[in-house]
Amino acid sequence: MPSKTKTPKDTALVYNQGTFRNSALVRQQTVAAYLFLLPALVFFCLFVVVPMVMCLVTSFFDYRMGKPLTFVGFAQYIKMFKDPIFLKALKNTFILVIVAVPAVAIFSLWVSSTIYKMHAFTRSFYRCVFYLPVVTGTVAVAVVWKWMFNKYTGILNYILSSLGLIEQNISWLGDERTALACIILILFTTSIGQPIVLYIAALGNVDPSLIDAAQVDGANNFQVFWHIKWPQIMPTTLYILVITTINTFQCYALIQLLTSGGPNHATDTIMYYIYYQAFKLNDYGYGDAMGVVLAIIIAVLSAVQFKVTGSGSTD
Amino acid sequence: MKKQVSLALAAVMAAGMLTACGGGAASSAPASSAPASSTAESTAASTEAAAGDALSADITLWTYPVGNFKDETAVGEVIANFNAKYPGINVKVEYLDYANGDDQVTAAIEAGTTPDIILEGPERLVANWGAKGKMLDISDLWTDEQTKDIAAVSESVVAACKNADGVYYEFPLCMTTHTMAINKEMFEAADALQYINEDGTWTTENFEKALQALKDSGVDTTCIVYCGAQGGDQGTRALVNNLYSGKFTSADHQTYTADSAENKKALQQLVDWSNAGLISYDASFAAADELQLFANGTIAMSFCWNASNQNQYASSVTFTPMPVAFPSDDGVPELCGGIWGFGIFDNGDATRAAAAKEFVKFVCEDPDQAVESVRMTGFFPVRASLGDVYAGTADADRMAQFSGFMPYLGDYYNVAPAWAEQRTEWWNMLQRCFMGTAVDESVQTYIDNCNAAIAAA
Amino acid sequence: MESSVQSKKLTPGKVITNVVLVLLAIFFIFPLYWIITGSFKDPVAVNANPPVWFPTNPTLYNYERLFQNPALRWLGNTVFMAVMAMLLTCITASMAGYALAKKRFPGRALVFSIMICAMALPKQVILIPLLKEMSFFNLHDNIWSVILPTVGWPFGVFLMKQFSETIPGEMLEAARIDGAGEALTFVKIVLPMVTPGIGALAIFTFINSWNDYFLQLIMLSSRNNLTISLGIAKLQAEMSNDFGLIMAGAALAAIPIIAVFLAFQKYFTQGIAMGAVKG
Repeated sequence: MPSKTKTPKDTALVYNQGTFRNSALVRQQTVAAYLFLLPALVFFCLFVVVPMVMCLVTSFFDYRMGKPLTFVGFAQYIKMFKDPIFLKALKNTFILVIVAVPAVAIFSLWVSSTIYKMHAFTRSFYRCVFYLPVVTGTVAVAVVWKWMFNKYTGILNYILSSLGLIEQNISWLGDERTALACIILILFTTSIGQPIVLYIAALGNVDPSLIDAAQVDGANNFQVFWHIKWPQIMPTTLYILVITTINTFQCYALIQLLTSGGPNHATDTIMYYIYYQAFKLNDYGYGDAMGVVLAIIIAVLSAVQFKVTGSGSTD
Repeated sequence: MKKQVSLALAAVMAAGMLTACGGGAASSAPASSAPASSTAESTAASTEAAAGDALSADITLWTYPVGNFKDETAVGEVIANFNAKYPGINVKVEYLDYANGDDQVTAAIEAGTTPDIILEGPERLVANWGAKGKMLDISDLWTDEQTKDIAAVSESVVAACKNADGVYYEFPLCMTTHTMAINKEMFEAADALQYINEDGTWTTENFEKALQALKDSGVDTTCIVYCGAQGGDQGTRALVNNLYSGKFTSADHQTYTADSAENKKALQQLVDWSNAGLISYDASFAAADELQLFANGTIAMSFCWNASNQNQYASSVTFTPMPVAFPSDDGVPELCGGIWGFGIFDNGDATRAAAAKEFVKFVCEDPDQAVESVRMTGFFPVRASLGDVYAGTADADRMAQFSGFMPYLGDYYNVAPAWAEQRTEWWNMLQRCFMGTAVDESVQTYIDNCNAAIAAA
Repeated sequence: MESSVQSKKLTPGKVITNVVLVLLAIFFIFPLYWIITGSFKDPVAVNANPPVWFPTNPTLYNYERLFQNPALRWLGNTVFMAVMAMLLTCITASMAGYALAKKRFPGRALVFSIMICAMALPKQVILIPLLKEMSFFNLHDNIWSVILPTVGWPFGVFLMKQFSETIPGEMLEAARIDGAGEALTFVKIVLPMVTPGIGALAIFTFINSWNDYFLQLIMLSSRNNLTISLGIAKLQAEMSNDFGLIMAGAALAAIPIIAVFLAFQKYFTQGIAMGAVKG
C-alpha cells in the first residue's frame, strides 16, 4: 500500500505561511473548519454526546420505570460492587477479553504471515473466507451455531460421537463448563476477519530488501520476523488489539441470542447484564451506572495497550 | 465555541428529558376528559349499528402469541367483525413474541409509543406494567353483570385481574390449565400407560415407575426439564410444586416458598432422577425447544402443554399427544392456570381509550364475537354465560380432554411481587440444582435474591 | 510473488501449514454452507440424525413459509437503512475528517479526543436516552431512528481523518492561491484524494448497519418496519427449533450482503488496511 507519500504532520502550512499570518485568516479558517465539521458534529452531539451525558447523569439517580426519580449519589456504584452477579459478569467479561483478544491477534498474525506471500488469488480467497463470518452477520451466525450446538439435532455432537470423542450428547450452550467457551469460539470466528486484512496489508508493506539483507546475514525465519517484521507491524498490532478489545467488551447480541446469560450466569457479561437490568427489570439507573463503569474500563485498557505496545515498539 | 454551545444544548436536553420522565411517573391518569365524541360527527353517516359509529379513532393492538391471536388472518377477521359495528375505529395490530416482546414494550413505554390495547396475562398487565403505573384503570368494564359472569367460572380470575387496591388492569377473555403431555405410543410401547389414572392424573410414585419403564424400553430421553430462561416456566413450577404438594408462594402471594420442605424434597427428587438418567435437563432450552423435540417424537413427555398447543401440534405430529396432569404424591394435582385478556395502556388520550374499551368489550362480550374470540385462543371462556364454546365443533373432543382438568386448577399466584426477577432466579435455581449445587444452598440463594428484589421494589 | 521460488519448495512444515489452513477454511465456510443447505431441507432432513450433509431432495418449503412473512419488505427496509446510513456517514465523515486533519482551529484537539473517547462507549447504555430522543423527534418505530445514530458514530470521522492526513498541504495551498473557495477545494482536491477511504467507509458502514441488531430491536416494532436481522430473530423467537425456516431467513439476510462484499471486497480490504496503516 502506498503509504510512502510524506505525511505532513504539520499542516499549519496552510495558514502559517510566511508573512501572511493574520487573525482574519485564522478566523476564516476556523469558521470554515467548523462548517465542515458541522454535519458530523450535529449527528455526533445529538445521538452520541447527549445520550452519553444523560446516561452519566442518570447513573446518580434511582431511575426505574414507574418510580419517581430520586438522586442517590454513588449508591448505584456501591451497589454494583456488592452485586455478586455483576462481579460474575465482570469476571466473565475479562475471561472473554483475556482469551479472545490474544487468540485473535496471534491467530490472525499466523494466518496472515502464512498467506500474504501466496499467489494473489489464493491470498484473496483466504482473506474472503476468514472475513465471511463478519459479513454473514451476527444474527445469522448466532442462529446457525445455535443449531450446530443443539444437544439433539446439532451436528457437533454427531461428529464428536461418531469420532468416538464423546459418549453422550453434550448440551454445549447449556452446560456451565462449555457455554462460555462456545461463545468465545463464535466470537473468535466473527472477529478475525478484519485483523487478517490489516496484517496482510501491513506485512506487504515490509521492505523486502531488509528481509533479503537479513537472510544473507544468516538470520533464521524467527529472527527475520522478530527483528525486521515485528517492529514494522507493531502499529497494526496495536490497532488490532484496541479494536478487538472494544468489540469483545461490547459482545452482546451473541449472548442474547444464544444463552441469555445462562446457564447459572456462566455467560453473563457486563454488556448483557446492563441490558437485563434495563430492559428486563427496567432499572435504568443501575444499568447506566454499569455502563459508565464499563466505558471507564474500556478507556483505561485501551490507554494501557497504547502505553505498553507503544513503548515496546521503540526498540 | 460551537463546542460549548453543543454541550450546553446537550445539558439542556438532558435536563429536559429527565424532568419529562420524572414528571411522567408522578402525574398519573391525565383524565382531561377530552370530548370523546366531538370528532365523531364527521364520520357518522352510517345508520345501521348502535352506539359504535359515534366513535372515531385510530388505535393499536399488540398481541402476545395467545393461540391464534398470533395469526394475521384470524385477527384480521376479528377486526373486520368489529369494524362492521364500529366503522370509525381503525385498529392496527402488531404481533409480539415471548422472547423479545417485553423488550419492545419497555422500549415503547420509554418512547411514549405504547399501543392502546395489549393482549396478555395478569402477570404482565397487572403485576408488571399495572404496578408501574402504565396501565389504565378499566374498572368500568367490570360491570356487576360481567363480574358475576366471570366469578361464576372462577373467583381467582377476578382476583388476578386487579391489584391489591382493587383496581382492575385486565379484562379477561380466556383461561386454561397448563398440563403435561405424553407421547401415547411411546408409553404404550413401554407398557407405562398403566401408571396413569383414567382421568389423566398420576402419583409421583407411578411417575417414577413410568420413567423407569420408558428407560427400560429403550427411550433415550424421557423428558427434559428445560431451564434456559424465557417462557414456559409454569411447567417447571408445576412439576416441582406437585411432586410433594408444595406451594409456590405463601397464601397471600407476598413471599416465595421454594424453601419449604416439600419443594426441596421435590427438587432433590428431580436431581436424583436426573443423576440416575431417568430424566434430563437442559439449561440452553426454552419451553419451545422442548416442545419441538416432543413434536418430533424425540422425547416422551412435554411439561409445557395446554389446549392451544394440542391444537397447534395436532396436525403436524405423527403420534398421539395425550394431555396428563402433573404427578403428585397424593394423586391430586394443583395445576397452574393461564389467564389471558386485554389491558389498555394509559396514553393520555380519552378518545383512543374509549375506542380501545369498545374494542375490548366487543371481543370479550359481543354475543356473536365472544365465542369466536375464545375459540381463536384455543382455551376456555372465563364467562359462564358463554357455556361450552366448543360444543358441536370439531374441537369438542380435544377440548373435553382438557376441561376434565379444570377442577384441578390451583391458586393463581403469578401476581406476587418482583415476579420478573423471580422468573430469572427460578431458572438459575434449577440450573444450579441440576449442575450439582446442593438443593438447600441453591434454593436459599433463590429465596434471598427474591426477597431482596421484593424489598427493593 | 517476490519469493515465489521459495514457496514452491515443499517442506513437511509447509504441507502441514497448508493442511491446517484448508481445514480452517472449511471450518469458517461451514456455518454458511449449513445455512444455505439447511434452508433447502425438508423438516425430516433438518432433524435427521445422522445429519443430511447435502439436501438430496431440495425443497422450497422453508422459503414459501418465510415469504408468508413480509420478508421482502424487511429486506427492502434493510437496504434503505444501510444505503442511507452509508451515504450520510460518508458525506459527514469526509467533511469532518478533512477539517480535523487539515485545519488548525481552536477546539480541534478537544473535538477529536471526545470523538475517540466516544468510540470506547458501550452503545447499549445510551439506548434508553436515545429512545427518549427518538420519541422527542417522533421517530420511534421509524427506520430513521436506526439510521441517525449510526451516522452519529464517530468511527467514520476517525477513519476519514486518517485518510485526509495524506493530502499534501502544498496542493491545498496552491488551490487557495488560485482563488478556489473552501467548498471548491474540498470537492476538486480533497474528495478525489480520499476516494479509497470513502469506498472503504461506505462498505464498512453498509455491512455494519446491515448486521446491527440491538438498536433495531429497540427502535423498531411494527412488523412492516422490521429489518431482516430483526425478522430472523423474530422467527427464531416464534419458531424456536424450526431450523429450516430460520436458515431460510438467515440465508436471505446473509446472501445479499455477502454478494456486496465479494463484489467490492478488493476496494474494501485495501481501504480498511490503508486507514489502519495510517493510524
